Amino acid sequence: MNPVTLNKYQLIIMADDKQVVLERILQVTRYRGFLINGMNAEVNTGNNVATITMSVSSERPISLLVDQINKLIDIKGVKVDNSEVQIKQYSA
Amino acid sequence: MTKSKTLTGGALLFEVLQEHGVQHVFGYPGGAIMPIYDALYDSDVKHYLCRHEQGAAFSAVGYARAAGTVGVCLATSGPGATNLITGLADALADSIPVVAITGQVPTAAMGSDAFQEIDIFGLSLACTKHSFQVTDINELEKVLHQAFEIALEGRHGPVLVDIPKDIQLAEVTQRLDKLSHLKNKVQLPLADISKALDLLTHAKQPILYVGGGVGMANAVEEVRDFAEKTGMPSVSTLKGLGAINPDNKNYLGMLGMHGTKTANIAVQECDLLVVVGARFDDRVTGKLDEFAPNAKVIHFDIDTAEINKRREADAAILGDLKGNLPLLTTDLDIENWQQRLQQMNTDFAWRYDHPGENIFAPAVLKTVSDLMPSNTCITTDVGQHQMWAAQHMSFDDPSNFLTSGGMGTMGFGLPAAIGAQISRPHDTVIAVSGDGSIMMNVQELATIKRYQIPVKVVLIDNAKLGMVRQWQDLFFDGRLSETDLSDNPDFVMLATAFDIKAKLITKKSEVDAAVKEMLDHDGPYLLQVKIDSTENVWPLVPPNTANDKMMEGV
Repeated sequence: MNPVTLNKYQLIIMADDKQVVLERILQVTRYRGFLINGMNAEVNTGNNVATITMSVSSERPISLLVDQINKLIDIKGVKVDNSEVQIKQYSA
Repeated sequence: MTKSKTLTGGALLFEVLQEHGVQHVFGYPGGAIMPIYDALYDSDVKHYLCRHEQGAAFSAVGYARAAGTVGVCLATSGPGATNLITGLADALADSIPVVAITGQVPTAAMGSDAFQEIDIFGLSLACTKHSFQVTDINELEKVLHQAFEIALEGRHGPVLVDIPKDIQLAEVTQRLDKLSHLKNKVQLPLADISKALDLLTHAKQPILYVGGGVGMANAVEEVRDFAEKTGMPSVSTLKGLGAINPDNKNYLGMLGMHGTKTANIAVQECDLLVVVGARFDDRVTGKLDEFAPNAKVIHFDIDTAEINKRREADAAILGDLKGNLPLLTTDLDIENWQQRLQQMNTDFAWRYDHPGENIFAPAVLKTVSDLMPSNTCITTDVGQHQMWAAQHMSFDDPSNFLTSGGMGTMGFGLPAAIGAQISRPHDTVIAVSGDGSIMMNVQELATIKRYQIPVKVVLIDNAKLGMVRQWQDLFFDGRLSETDLSDNPDFVMLATAFDIKAKLITKKSEVDAAVKEMLDHDGPYLLQVKIDSTENVWPLVPPNTANDKMMEGV
C-alpha cells in the first residue's frame, strides 16, 4: 500500500464574531476531508471580528476547503499560507 | 416613514412571514413552540397540520419547488426539531429555499438537559445553509429577515431559526421597515466570456449539460433559447428535467446511471461540455476519470465552490445564468454531429411493446404523462419508480418534476405533493411512489384527508424494495437481503380508510381507463399499479464504470 502524501496548509480566517463560527469552520473542515493539525482562535473578543489561524493537511487541494469556508455566511475572508488573500467582495 | 408596534416574539414571527409573502406554512405543535402556535391563532397565515414533522419539512420543500418561493415549516423542540433534519438535509442537497422555525426550551433551561431539549442549532450545522438561535428578543426581527434573504441569496438553501420559548413570549417593538439585513452579499467575479466563446467556436461535437440550477436561476427561457439558436445537442440531469423542451429534436434525455444510451454516448464522445447549473454529481459522471474524456469544459454556476470541485473547468463563468448564458449564443457548424445524434435518438428510442399481460411500469408512466393536463406537477419518491418516471415522463418545466435528487430520500413524494398542490391549487399534482417509499410518510394521507387535497398517487407496487433488490440481483449474487415487501398492507383499503378513492390494477388492459378515471376524479385518488417484482431499470451504468459501458439487460 502506497503511503498517503498529505499537503499541509496554513489558513487565516476572518469572520463575524458569532458564537457558533468556530463550530461551523471545524465541521466544514472535517467534512471536506482535511485534518486539523492545530489552531488558534481569537473569538468573543467584543470587537465583532474573529480571527482564526488553522493548520490543516489533506490529499485534497486547499482551494476545495477555502471555497467551502468562504461560503459560510459569517466568514469575511480566508487567507492561504503566504499567498494572496482571498476576500469576498461585499455589496454596500 | 418607519411604523412600529409592540408584539410578542410569536406574533412578530407571523408579521415578518407575511412581509415576505408567506401565506402557507406546514408544521406540528408542541410544548416549546406553544407561544408561536398561540400567535398563529390570530394570524392570517394558513397553517397545514402535517402528521409528522418530516412530512411538514417535505411539504415545505414541495411548496418551494413547485411555486419558486420559500417554503416554511414549524416544529417544536427536541424530537419535533430532529424530525425536521431529513427534510432540511434534502433541501440542502437540492438547494431548496426553506425556512424552518423551531421552538426551543426557555433560555434559562438551555444546556440543562431539559425535557424535549436538543441542541438543534448544533445539529443544523451540517444540514442547513445557515442557522440561527435567537437569545435576544431585539434580534428576532433582523434574524427572521436574514433567514429569508439567505435562503434565496445566491445558491438557494434551507435556513433554521431556533427560538426559545421565553423569546417567543417576550414583547418587542417591531420596525416595519424593509431594510436589507444581509451583510455578506457576494459579488461574483466577472465572467471570461471571450475564452468560452473561443472554445465554443472551435468545438465540433459540443453538448449542453443542463442541471437543476437552471430552474432555480429562473433561466429556463434563456437555456431553451440558447439550445434552439445554437442547435447544440443537450442532456439533462435528474433535477434539470423540464429545463429543455422535450420536443427539441436535439435533446437527448437524461444522462448518467440510468440515462439514455444516446445521452451517455454523446457525452462520452463530445469535445466540449457546456455545463449550466450542474455539478458533476457521481450519479451523473459514473467513473469520474473516464467521464467525457475528450471534452473541454465551460462551467456556468452561481456557486464558486462547484467550479473545479469534481472536474476542472477550462472556462468558468460565475454568476447569474440568466444574464450570462445569452452572451455565449453563436452560430455553430455542427450539422454532422446533430444528425448522428438524432439518428441515435431514433435507433435507441424507448420501447413499450412489453410482452404478456403484466403491467410494464415504464408504459403506465408514459400513459400518465401522455394523458395528464399541461402544467401537471409530478413528485416522486426514490427507487425504481423514480428512475422510470424520469425516463418515461415528459416535463414542460423543472418546477413540474419534484424529486429528491441529491439526498435520494424515500418518503419525499407524498408530502412534497401536498406542498406542491397547496402552492398551485389549480394544477394537477401527481405523486409517483413505490410500495416501499409510500410507507415512509404514509401518515400524510391523513393530511390529504383533513384538507381534502386533490393529490393523485400512482403507486408502482412490486412488493419489493425494488432498486435495492435489483442491485442485489446484479451485484450481490442474488442474495436478496431484507428487500421483500410481500406482506405490504392492502393499499386500497388503506387509502379508503383515509377517505381517499383508490383502485388496484394488475393487467395492462386496465391501464388507460384507470389513468383516465384517476385524472378525472375531483378529489384525492390512489391508483395502485401491480407490476412484476423482477422488472429492472435499464439502462444501468454499474458502479465505478464509464457511462458508455452501460448494461441494457441481463
